[in-house]
Amino acid sequence: MDVNVTIKENIRIRAFYLFFIIVSIQIGVGLLGAPMYIFTEARQDSWISIIIALVYLLLVLFVMFRILNQYENADILGIQVDVFGKWIGKALGTLYIVHITIALLSVLVTYIEVVQIFIFPELSSLIIGFLLLSLIIYGVLGGIRVVIGIVFIIFFLTHWLLFLLYEPVMRMDMTHFQPMFHASIIELFKGAKATSYTFMGFEILFFLYPFIQNKGKAKFPVYLGACWSAGIVLINTVIAIGYFSPHQLEHLEWSVLSLYKIVTFPFVERFDYIFVAVWMMVVLTTMMLLMWAITYGLKRLYKIPQKTTLYLTSFILLVICGFISYHYLVIALTDQVARIGFWITYVYPFLLLPLVLLKKRFRKNKKGSEGK
Amino acid sequence: MRRNRNRKTNTDSIFPLKIDELKKIIKDKFEKNPDLTFNTYEQNNKKIAVFFISYQTDPDKVENFLLEPLLKIDKEWTGPTIKNEIPLSPAATANKLEDILRNLIIGEAFVYVEDEDAAISYALIHKEKRQVSKPENETVVLGPQIAFTESLITNLNVVRWSLRSTDLVLEKILIGKRAPREVRLIYMKSIANETHVNTMRQRLQDLDVDEIEDSNVLSQYIEDSSSTIFPQFYTTELPDRFCYTVGKGRIGVLVENSPTGILAPSTLFSFLESTEDLYMRWNMGSFLRILRFVAMFISVILTPLYVAAVTYHYELIPPRELITLGQSRAVVPFPPIIEALILEFLIELLREAGARLPTKVGQTIGIVGGVIIGQAVVQAGLTSSILIIVIAMSALASFTAPSYLMGTTIRVIRFPMIFLAGMFGLIGIIYGICFLIIHLLKIKSLGEPYLAPVYPFRWADLNKALYRAPYAYQYKRFLSFRPKDLLRFKKREAIKKHDIDE
Repeated sequence: MDVNVTIKENIRIRAFYLFFIIVSIQIGVGLLGAPMYIFTEARQDSWISIIIALVYLLLVLFVMFRILNQYENADILGIQVDVFGKWIGKALGTLYIVHITIALLSVLVTYIEVVQIFIFPELSSLIIGFLLLSLIIYGVLGGIRVVIGIVFIIFFLTHWLLFLLYEPVMRMDMTHFQPMFHASIIELFKGAKATSYTFMGFEILFFLYPFIQNKGKAKFPVYLGACWSAGIVLINTVIAIGYFSPHQLEHLEWSVLSLYKIVTFPFVERFDYIFVAVWMMVVLTTMMLLMWAITYGLKRLYKIPQKTTLYLTSFILLVICGFISYHYLVIALTDQVARIGFWITYVYPFLLLPLVLLKKRFRKNKKGSEGK
Repeated sequence: MRRNRNRKTNTDSIFPLKIDELKKIIKDKFEKNPDLTFNTYEQNNKKIAVFFISYQTDPDKVENFLLEPLLKIDKEWTGPTIKNEIPLSPAATANKLEDILRNLIIGEAFVYVEDEDAAISYALIHKEKRQVSKPENETVVLGPQIAFTESLITNLNVVRWSLRSTDLVLEKILIGKRAPREVRLIYMKSIANETHVNTMRQRLQDLDVDEIEDSNVLSQYIEDSSSTIFPQFYTTELPDRFCYTVGKGRIGVLVENSPTGILAPSTLFSFLESTEDLYMRWNMGSFLRILRFVAMFISVILTPLYVAAVTYHYELIPPRELITLGQSRAVVPFPPIIEALILEFLIELLREAGARLPTKVGQTIGIVGGVIIGQAVVQAGLTSSILIIVIAMSALASFTAPSYLMGTTIRVIRFPMIFLAGMFGLIGIIYGICFLIIHLLKIKSLGEPYLAPVYPFRWADLNKALYRAPYAYQYKRFLSFRPKDLLRFKKREAIKKHDIDE
């Protein structure tokens, strides 16, 4: 397996799409429940937690860029093989892909649950799963360019939902934020950690980086994207805290969805139905990017054709999502993904960077001595 | 190699031979065809044959300018003298039987002097054609009121007058093995993207069919994907639209005997763009263009939304509406999806009947269908009155598409959407929309993305697709299609701002 990849000119993408990719992969099902999880840890100071999380996020992204920039045109799979050798590298790569697969499964299962809770209590998980997966297959079959096109277009097709929050904003109670700075540092960090599931997904950068046409301009869109999605989470959390009483929010699992419940128009009485349906687009972009990463990753590692992986993974996911139909299972899965994902996404880059730097130094020395 | 070929052509030549033999050969080829006129004259002891197909040639010209000089002037005719003395142009010589036959069919008159090496032919073509008339299918309020006709010559004439530039290339390509037809590949040499031109030429030349019926058929042969429902090439009957598009660096194709020109590459947005947007002032033009986008959206979404809301999501409908709707629907015996399908079907019937019937009857059908049946259907309790409004609105919206093909596409898309809405409610609708987006992203037109400039995103091109900027700001051509020459005029002078009292 080559460490560096050569990407054909016609499937390269311009760097500014990274902004949309980062936002779409971070904003997904996680956002719907995020306010409750953060609130239970950091109470009315949750907004500080989100800012801490953002700072940490930017740090991780910075480290990721440092790692990627040590190579000409490599992705995480190639880098791991380079640093750890063929066998361990491939094993770690496989682990990475398994992590992404499980993350994909958790998104799928969570969204199915939301649909069943809010719109169709009787509709079978298999059918919703089939609908979603068929779209994913159809999209991923078009390759990375089509996937990013979907991400780009759906970004604009869904962001108008944010404007509808004006109605709960009008009814916010500012006393819910007092007393400020009440939470201890530990609680704040715990609150920040509670965002890890929501913000997860930006590790896609490790896969997509070789596809970027103008790498020099890649950093800004990525940082901006992280800030943007953190901003969205922040806005939603702040509104949720202001709108719901603390006692209520503690038990409100889909608090963001509940915010949309009170939005009414003269022609639409309940907006949360439309919100759940439109949210399908948002979730779809996340899942498509993850699915693409799975197929591409397995092709890189084991030279399995992407189509085979695509069909096989979809089939397996469909079968599994038919089984996971109890709420506690969904919660357990999400928690697992969040726990393992925390180490893989938020900690692992910090461990990888020194190794990569060492390896580079080592190689340079070797080359230097050979030169002598 | 070349010499070989020369010899070969020489052996192909049927001349020199006696007039009687020639007559026999030609007559044999036109077996049971009484139309061939084969006259033999004798002058100065030389036999001269004149033959042509009577209705394919202009009889006046044949008599006055060919036969009269030929028989009046007392001369010993040979090939060169005929060429010199007969006051007709252009004269061509032919010595192969195939050439003679092929040109006979398209209306050339042949003169053959006995024992000469070649026959001389004159293009005295007579082709029936209608006058150029007003556009019928793509009507515009402003701008030139002229449409292409079936005659390629007329169409080329119109195009040439609109684009009076030596840059304009009109490549001739013959398509069809059994019954060849002339096709012209039209582009601006110094603007059009070389790749587009080559791709289009390649596709036209590689086309291996016995015959093509019309330019709409040709466009289906050479499209990028035949499985999609979306048309990939714009077909237009408006010369001004054709010339405008070609002038901006795209490629046009005109086909003999077809009153529509093909334009490629096209984007989804070009199907929703009318030349009228350009003739209007920019703000009105933009308004109309955006109106059309909204109309398309409404047309696809409205009926499915009704079906979804009434079948599954009563909660969406405000209470007061719900009461009216409930009263109206109380007598309807069908589920909403059947109700909607019946009415959609009715509208489609009306449209199709209106299109097939003679104009006068068609109008009557419209009134009968629209007013009387609509009223009666509600009173009979087959549908709710709100659905009538919904269906009428979405039908109306679909007719705003400047391209008839796109309008039809939109109307057909509605049916699967209604089914999806009937099965899965709002989830089904969003599923349909997502599917459409993915599908549109996958389509290519002449190798170019169908959704350009939205994806791949080009900021500079948005003012040509989504809205219309004032002309001073449209100083660039369509960047997404990489024309050879991007700039139309200099930006600096066009949008120079003056200070107060300057």
